[in-house]
Amino acid sequence: MNKRQTRLFAIGSSLLAALVFIGLTLDSHRQFDKLTHAENITPAVSRGKDVWHKNNCINCHTVFGEGAYYAPDLTKITKHRGEAYLTAYLQDPSKFYDENRHRRLMPKQDLSPTDISDLIAFLDWVSNVDNQGWPPRPILVTGASLPGSDMSVAQQGAAALGGGTAATPPGARPVTGNDNPMALGEKVFRSATPACTACHSVAPGVNMAGPSLAGLTARTQALLASSDNKSQARDVAGYIRESITSPSAHLVPGPMYSANGVSFMPTTYAKDLTPAQIDQLVAYLSSLK
Amino acid sequence: MRYKSQSVAYWYFAVALALFGLQLVFGLLSAAKYLGPDPLLYILPFDVTKMIHTNLLIVWVLTGFMGATYWMVPDESRTELYSTRLAYVQLVLWTLMGVATVVGYLFRYGTGNKLLEQPLPSKIVIVIVMLMFLYNIAMTIRNSGRFTTTEGVLVGGLGLAALLYLPALLEYENYTVAIFYRWWTIHLWVEGVWEMIQGGFLAYLLIRLSGADREVMEKWLYVIVGLVFIAGILGTAHHYYWVGVPSYWLPIGGAFSALEPVALVGMAMYAYSAIRRSGLAHPNKLALHWTVGSAVFTLFGAGLLGLAHTFPSVNKWTHGTLITAMHGHAAFYGAYAMIVLAMITYALPAFTRRPEEGSAMGFTAFWMQIAGMFGMTLSFATAGIGQVYLERIMGMGYLDAQLKIQIHFVMLIITASIFAIGVALFIIDFFRYRPVFEVSGDAEPGLRPVKPARPVRPAMA
Repeated sequence: MNKRQTRLFAIGSSLLAALVFIGLTLDSHRQFDKLTHAENITPAVSRGKDVWHKNNCINCHTVFGEGAYYAPDLTKITKHRGEAYLTAYLQDPSKFYDENRHRRLMPKQDLSPTDISDLIAFLDWVSNVDNQGWPPRPILVTGASLPGSDMSVAQQGAAALGGGTAATPPGARPVTGNDNPMALGEKVFRSATPACTACHSVAPGVNMAGPSLAGLTARTQALLASSDNKSQARDVAGYIRESITSPSAHLVPGPMYSANGVSFMPTTYAKDLTPAQIDQLVAYLSSLK
Repeated sequence: MRYKSQSVAYWYFAVALALFGLQLVFGLLSAAKYLGPDPLLYILPFDVTKMIHTNLLIVWVLTGFMGATYWMVPDESRTELYSTRLAYVQLVLWTLMGVATVVGYLFRYGTGNKLLEQPLPSKIVIVIVMLMFLYNIAMTIRNSGRFTTTEGVLVGGLGLAALLYLPALLEYENYTVAIFYRWWTIHLWVEGVWEMIQGGFLAYLLIRLSGADREVMEKWLYVIVGLVFIAGILGTAHHYYWVGVPSYWLPIGGAFSALEPVALVGMAMYAYSAIRRSGLAHPNKLALHWTVGSAVFTLFGAGLLGLAHTFPSVNKWTHGTLITAMHGHAAFYGAYAMIVLAMITYALPAFTRRPEEGSAMGFTAFWMQIAGMFGMTLSFATAGIGQVYLERIMGMGYLDAQLKIQIHFVMLIITASIFAIGVALFIIDFFRYRPVFEVSGDAEPGLRPVKPARPVRPAMA
């Protein structure tokens, strides 16, 4: 090849690639609205996007996996956590996490109640965008899909003996009286004897000895509204409380969870947990959207 | 130096190096925050230090590009610059904009749009500065009537870089559409037109340093530019994974990203064979280190490490983890930091009385930076691999997984410190020679004939 031919190659191939790229861009524009559910971009979602930008969230967190890698991905956060939890969290993250234990903490942001609800609306819009099913597995903030994998054997042993700081897994919340009941409830979820996490995961689709508790609130709401509801419970919290204290009151269908109308879940929690602990556990479980 | 006006480049280099040093301060601060707890949580949180770290990178590299262009264009076109005054005004405006923007960031005055955080007034100044710069260069070339291919590729790259910044000035209602066009600026810069700029500097340096035949070098430069754009333009698709755009971007991203290393292999071979085949050796050995180093480190950081996580079936698991930080650090350093340092090292003996072949401190700086950056890349890689397996595949919570990979952050800080010392030495080596700006008649300090490493075959021509 001589120099003229190579110049032709450089210009020709660049133009060709640019042409194909622009063609695909035009076609993408045809599909953006459908894929992103643009009709759901309400004024609240738009304002929430501004809150997201104004507070520079992207330089710690990721959304759609884009951003910085210093804080968890938030693409599907509203699928995991309800509005009550996210609101309380955004009001003061230090009520949920302890910097000494996690080595990092989200600084409290200067957010008004409207800012918070708009931001949650934006993140909820994000969670519904059709992005080829990413992430392939739920990205959790703390805890684990597999029970016990976030605690060492020593920590689990200590947890089984029922107390002490050594029992607290690295991902558990601090346990001062000031903490949010939902945060305290997650601690109970991990440290009760036997630990709820031994049988239940909060990751969607991870069914172990007990069913996954992901989407608990949404499923319970559907159940309470349906005609075959035989429960005494009037609301989600009441249903969850009843399920903890008398497991056989509500049975999840399936031969691996119950037999002859009796749940395999231990019935000891009603007497082993204090009423305050049960309240906290209910608050936490109600936050699993 | 042959032309008096080339001395403007010195001041651009001085500003670039000062900002490079500042960039590392914020980089080290950000790295320390990975270990935590953070005593500066409410004074200088991670989002601010990280934003300043990445923005200073862009500003100093662009300052270096502009300085290196002001150095190279008079050499290539054999003329004085059209206006040194314009060049100085441009530098002052640019530096003020950069400093004001960073100070603004300390008070969280930014757009919160990754890498394009510059507020609108800063963006407008950036566009004005770019136009001043391109005008000055265009007039210089026009007045000289001599326009080489090497500078054509360089100026083409710079012009397109300015053009591609324009989508960043717009706002989009739909977050996914905003992401789509954000990459027109960021990706098409770093994996398109900036590689053109790098290719231009590389060709210039290789012609000067190895005495390689210009016709041959420029012919291969065209081939490299063609390869960069075939793969680079459609390779934008690898940023369109999982962000809410049509799924055909997935296979396109996989295929064309896989082609991206081809141009980089070409660039490394180009540099290596130019040096090996040449019968001449330039006395500025240090500049030669940086030049070949840039081509090789680009192949490693941008080519190999980019390829490592570019296929959709892999990226599904690695997307948004420290694996990206691994690739980002090595690629940016190899391709853009090193090529600017190569141009500075090449030009410095003409500005000052630094020994032509380079100083011992200069060589120490080179090897400490290479070793430090290689170590940082490995730290991010090991941390990222741990994160992918624990968090993404096993399903451990983000915060718990981060605690399990703490040791890699310790490694990161140690290797980053080695790198920072290397950079500090480079900066000291730059500033310890007083600028004298002597205009010499000689184009070059004299290429010395050496025994070629292997017989010269005519095949390359």
